[in-house]
Amino acid sequence: MGRKLITTGNDLVSMAALEAGCNFFAGYPITPSSDIMHNMSVELPKFDGHFIQMEDEIGSVCAAIGASMSGAKAMTGSSGPGISLKSEQIGYSFITEVPLVIVNVMRGGPSTGLPTHVSQADVGQAKYPTHGDYASISLCPGSLEECYSMTIEAFNLAEKYMTPVFLLLDETVGHMQSEVELPDLEDVKKMVINREVYTGDKDTYEPYNAPMDKPAVLNPFFKGYKYHVTGLHHGHKGFPTEDPVQSQYNIDRLTGKVNNNRGDIVKYAEYMLDDADICIIAYGSISRSAKSAIAKLREKGIKAGMFRPITLWPSPDKQLQEIGKKFKHIFVTELNMGQYLEEVQRCTKRDDIGTLHRANGKPIPPLEIVAKVEEML
Amino acid sequence: MAFDYSKYLRTDKMPTLWCWGCGDGVILKSVIRVIDELGWDMDDVCIVSGIGCSGRFSSYMNANTVHTTHGRAIAYATGIKMANPDKKVIVITGDGDGSAIGGNHTIHGCRRNIDLKHIIINNFIYGLTNSQTSPTTPKGMWTVTAQRGNIDPTFDLCKLAEGAGASFIARESMTNPTKLEKVLKKGFEHKGYSFFDVFSNCHINLGRKNKMGQAKETLDWIDSRIVSKSKFEKFTPEEQDGKYPTGVLRQEEQDEYCDMYKKVQYASQNNEQVKF
Amino acid sequence: MAHMESPQDTPVWVNTNNCKACNICVTLCPAGVLGMIEADTSILGSTISVDYPDSCIGCNACELSCPDFAIYVSRKKDFKFAKLSPDSKQRADQIVNENKCMSIKGSQNG
Repeated sequence: MGRKLITTGNDLVSMAALEAGCNFFAGYPITPSSDIMHNMSVELPKFDGHFIQMEDEIGSVCAAIGASMSGAKAMTGSSGPGISLKSEQIGYSFITEVPLVIVNVMRGGPSTGLPTHVSQADVGQAKYPTHGDYASISLCPGSLEECYSMTIEAFNLAEKYMTPVFLLLDETVGHMQSEVELPDLEDVKKMVINREVYTGDKDTYEPYNAPMDKPAVLNPFFKGYKYHVTGLHHGHKGFPTEDPVQSQYNIDRLTGKVNNNRGDIVKYAEYMLDDADICIIAYGSISRSAKSAIAKLREKGIKAGMFRPITLWPSPDKQLQEIGKKFKHIFVTELNMGQYLEEVQRCTKRDDIGTLHRANGKPIPPLEIVAKVEEML
Repeated sequence: MAFDYSKYLRTDKMPTLWCWGCGDGVILKSVIRVIDELGWDMDDVCIVSGIGCSGRFSSYMNANTVHTTHGRAIAYATGIKMANPDKKVIVITGDGDGSAIGGNHTIHGCRRNIDLKHIIINNFIYGLTNSQTSPTTPKGMWTVTAQRGNIDPTFDLCKLAEGAGASFIARESMTNPTKLEKVLKKGFEHKGYSFFDVFSNCHINLGRKNKMGQAKETLDWIDSRIVSKSKFEKFTPEEQDGKYPTGVLRQEEQDEYCDMYKKVQYASQNNEQVKF
Repeated sequence: MAHMESPQDTPVWVNTNNCKACNICVTLCPAGVLGMIEADTSILGSTISVDYPDSCIGCNACELSCPDFAIYVSRKKDFKFAKLSPDSKQRADQIVNENKCMSIKGSQNG
């Protein structure tokens, strides 16, 4: 059956968040992500959810994490400068293992940069948004359908792995408007994953005692399972420790619970790669330019295809390794000065990758990709 | 029979990490005694603390406890309270934590009048990080960052809370635990943002370099700076200088934020505007 | 109210595991009941000693001002406390004025 509607990327993010069970949103005004906050302020109270516009970006991420640790499904949204402000608290979400979905509708930076223009300049920031060691998860939708499905996925991953998850939209994807077909609500509800809850003995509850590929099991507050949450390194019961063995275990598990589950987390898409000689690697709105470019290149007899990472972090490293071995030509194009190129180089171990990078707030049109690809042949 | 703290305390965490004679422990004890008096169920209580010596407060209480980041306790607590409006949320910050790095959240917590019980443990110094000037350090005092005497004007936190709109404001000192319990009880019973400026001692990192290295000496110094609200009001402006009135300084019935948000939910579900 | 049993016939008693020897209780006691004694295993090398339990007036000042949950006082209805005597008051004044926190009783004995 499915549902058909005409809408924008940002609107689909808020719609999907609500359908994934999000019941708390805290935000602060910033272009170009404010639309999501506007929608949440209107929709959440209709379903007994809570919305609050906080006094600053830091406050909004704190309120969202606070709500989430107490049991809510929470989200915050922002753009580059706001994410920079939130970064310390994102680290708190990592170490305390409190799930959180953070939408970043990317704009040009650094600093205030290009507030209303398209960019993919926060890809590197999404990998390491805060100090310390951890492994992050970032999803980057490339279509309206994915704005919906990847928002659901972001909540699922956050709850399953008890970690902050970035949803990286570029301004074009966020503001793109078109007809979209979505799955039926009851089918969506079946896909929704909620965090695990401990039901055993209260005295032996150890929320942070988990194997290397598993997250903490944090029960909602006010249900009798009283434990401690701290941004300090902590033992199995959540109380601060400086024990070197415990601290190393914590870091190993924070990275391990993501890296040991890459097979479950990593998502990517291939487009006309089967017979291709050239693999174009692009994500977000630039993957749309790349698709048009591929059609034009093929008209000229050049067999191009595309590999599109959807989970930017952790990266589809195995797939990129294969691409490095399989394709004569690799071409990376993105709206920054090579933030993902570095990851592609790391995985493919190739130094002959063709590139088209830009950070001036302007999109990359298909014909430019065509010209650059032809240049490298 | 004597008062039994063990129900409220994580006794396996005793003795505390605080220095000998630190007022934080006295305030912890007062909070426990008040919770007991009010009959609150610890399953329904959340203690949120920031960073600093006072940040450890939460870990000692047998409740749902959160040790957050520096300055952000009020913001975290706002999220917890909004998502659980019928639960009790107590926030513990230090003076630097709550009025410098976290000043903005304190201001807006007061302004929203959200039902948080915010205790600022005001020891006039950054104690944990070894004696740097805080917004409440008195003028002329030695700090490690003002070794020739502090020139920064002193922040009156209750005036800040008043300007920001908190509906309950009290100042008390840990030198008088009985009075402290009394104002805490009043504030805990109050619905709205209850702001407590609680003077406390740091004889180690404030006292030792300011000729009051014994706990008792710092306690006496604190006592010399406070005067009951009723006496204070009779003082001339000269007499008031350098003194801080204690007791309940403001208590008004004002719209509480979570109650108001319930109205937003109702209005949204019935397609109407919020009725004020 | 949460209550625990007091040790039998004891007005005021100490949990030496928690005591950090800050002296606050000794200097606050209006009846000069308390002193500090050397204790090698304690933090700061000393701990509270209840030297004159019979003088305790049950005012609870020591318990309320103890930051470390180290000293406890019986409820007034459960124990017949003393009235503040001139001797007690003199001892208390001496502790404060002459800064004699170490156990007066102890020093007399040794």
